[in-house]
Amino acid sequence: MPLELAEIGENYGYGPFKVGRQYGRSEFLRGTHPMKLLEALEVVKQPVVEAAPTRGISLLCGFTPLHFKTFLAAHLRTNLPTSRIEIKEGLFGDLAGNVERLQAAGGGEACVVVEWGDLDQRLGIRSLGTWRAADIPDIVESARRQSARLTRLVGQLAESGPVYVSTPTLPLPPIFTTPGGRAHHAECELREIAASLATSVAACARTRVVASQRLDEVSPFGQRFDPKAEISTGFPYSLEHASRLAELIADLIRDAAPKKGLITDLDDTLWAGILGEAGVEGIAWDVSHGAHVHGLYQRFLDSLASAGVLLAAASKNDPVLVEQALARRDILLPRSKLFPLEINWGSKSRSVYRILEQWNIASDDVVFIDDSPMEVAEVQSVFPRMECLLFLRSDVLAVWNLLKQLRDRFGKCEVSSEDQVRLQSIRTASAFRETLRPDGTGTEDFLRNAEATISFSWENGGRGSRALELINKTNQFNLNGKRFSESEWLNLLRGPDAFLLTASYEDKYGSLGKIVVLMGTTVGSNVCVHSWVMSCRAFSRRIEHQCLSYLFEKTGVTEITFAFAATPRNGPIRSFFSELLGRTPAANLSLPKATFEARVPDLFHRVVELKSV
Amino acid sequence: MAEVHSRLIRCFSSVFPTLTEAQIQSADFARLIDLDSLAAVTLVTVVDEEFGVEMDLDALLKLGSFAALCQHLSEEAVSSASRSTED
Repeated sequence: MPLELAEIGENYGYGPFKVGRQYGRSEFLRGTHPMKLLEALEVVKQPVVEAAPTRGISLLCGFTPLHFKTFLAAHLRTNLPTSRIEIKEGLFGDLAGNVERLQAAGGGEACVVVEWGDLDQRLGIRSLGTWRAADIPDIVESARRQSARLTRLVGQLAESGPVYVSTPTLPLPPIFTTPGGRAHHAECELREIAASLATSVAACARTRVVASQRLDEVSPFGQRFDPKAEISTGFPYSLEHASRLAELIADLIRDAAPKKGLITDLDDTLWAGILGEAGVEGIAWDVSHGAHVHGLYQRFLDSLASAGVLLAAASKNDPVLVEQALARRDILLPRSKLFPLEINWGSKSRSVYRILEQWNIASDDVVFIDDSPMEVAEVQSVFPRMECLLFLRSDVLAVWNLLKQLRDRFGKCEVSSEDQVRLQSIRTASAFRETLRPDGTGTEDFLRNAEATISFSWENGGRGSRALELINKTNQFNLNGKRFSESEWLNLLRGPDAFLLTASYEDKYGSLGKIVVLMGTTVGSNVCVHSWVMSCRAFSRRIEHQCLSYLFEKTGVTEITFAFAATPRNGPIRSFFSELLGRTPAANLSLPKATFEARVPDLFHRVVELKSV
Repeated sequence: MAEVHSRLIRCFSSVFPTLTEAQIQSADFARLIDLDSLAAVTLVTVVDEEFGVEMDLDALLKLGSFAALCQHLSEEAVSSASRSTED
């Protein structure tokens, strides 16, 4: 029986996670075996949802794409089930030419798969080029020139859309004069050229490069090349390698949104030992106490925090002792990185609930870690969408794999300035809530005295922009929940009538960074807002009101249309419109300026207009 | 034999999704390969992967029909099983 998509997704690691899944051995890898060609063909022929938008992706390589194209299509279908993916190919044997032709045709989203034969034909086996010792220096120099050319071409192509790049993955042919076990100088030079290609391309705007280390983990080097297929059909990959490489490239294309927060247990997780029994000096995280994995875990959490990940602790413990433990001078994860601390003797799920309230983020954006299977199961039962993982402190390899798994979950391309201020702004929001009197009358005083400044900026939304990141990860104050790929986003902004407005916020308590994105079109006197999101950290400051006030003022229109659509999670923006309109908002609503002005509350912000980007 | 038959039907269906089971069983391989050589290469690879046999286009053409291929794969399976128990 053909496999259902969901079933295949589960087999390949895309399905829901098991409660307290243990990441021992190689289980962290996406699937225990690569997708087979037969399975890939069956995935590809499954019907796509009729309304699915089409997404064209060019597959540029020098070899016959053959089964690699099938695997890529199948992994993309699994990764992006709501898109209709169309993969276009180039010409055989001319990778650089394929890149040039796509660029000349207007460019677009593309996968560039480089192999040795693309750097110099003599490094492939189909051309029967000379392998004499005297020719080797020329092969190296030719590869160097071609690598530089590819770097330039990929950089140019990336100006038109995202480019996903794989640098040579296959073994070099046995052309060197040294025995296979001894590296020849020219071989080292060729590897350096390939590494330089990856380094240069990775630095380009809008490129993503396959991590060779991850490929090495999932596709054994000695089993990648299929010389028989290469000679007979021009397809150099073994099926397993084609499947694994396609899977990694499909992951680059999917670009899953990173998780936002991690809640950790303390005893036998952040440190070794039970604080209440061993005392503050009795707990440990160093090698001499056999507790090195806990030190490693602390260092890792510190690294996550430096990239903007929220960290909190939920522990059944004595709060005074915990504060003393976290104040120890040798602790590797500073106390300041943990907020909030939920230290009590109640259930873990209640602590987790309070942490989520403080952070104001959804449970599926959070990972929970505890050494107790019972606690993990209890939290998982209350928050089924949260990823709840066991910390297997006695199994070093399992902890190592857990760290790798966490990096996958929280990994991001760039660390922005907003990432640096996220924790501070959540602390500020928490302080703000505490200043409010139960009857809400403290709000006006607080806002009036907050010394708030909102900085507006008209942007172009280029790569790595905070705007797209915010659009794709905001759920609550989100006009319609629409998500965009980078190429879709760029295409929208290229429209002649499109505008992109962003806003940053700062008050006397600190900066929230860029927290609003508003994208729309202006046609004549009609302004339509297609996307509008605001970070949940910015709630209750009337920033959304100021945004509309600014937009009305700058566009001069008397009415703005919003592509509003209710989603299961955008209650806050629904409430906002309900208050302004005096009724439940309908899809694609219009807001007259007169209605807005009649109902807008007092705004105390200083408004600054930044130079357009 | 019945198991080989159903697995082989699955292979053909995945490569030639428009063919019915009856059309697959009565297909003339030479005509099939003429119609779509890329699909023929894929079929050989899928059969190779699914049954673990060394197969190429020439061998497929020589067998000529679905029934002959099914018979060949069944014999290969029996032969492989007996080899694995000889030791």
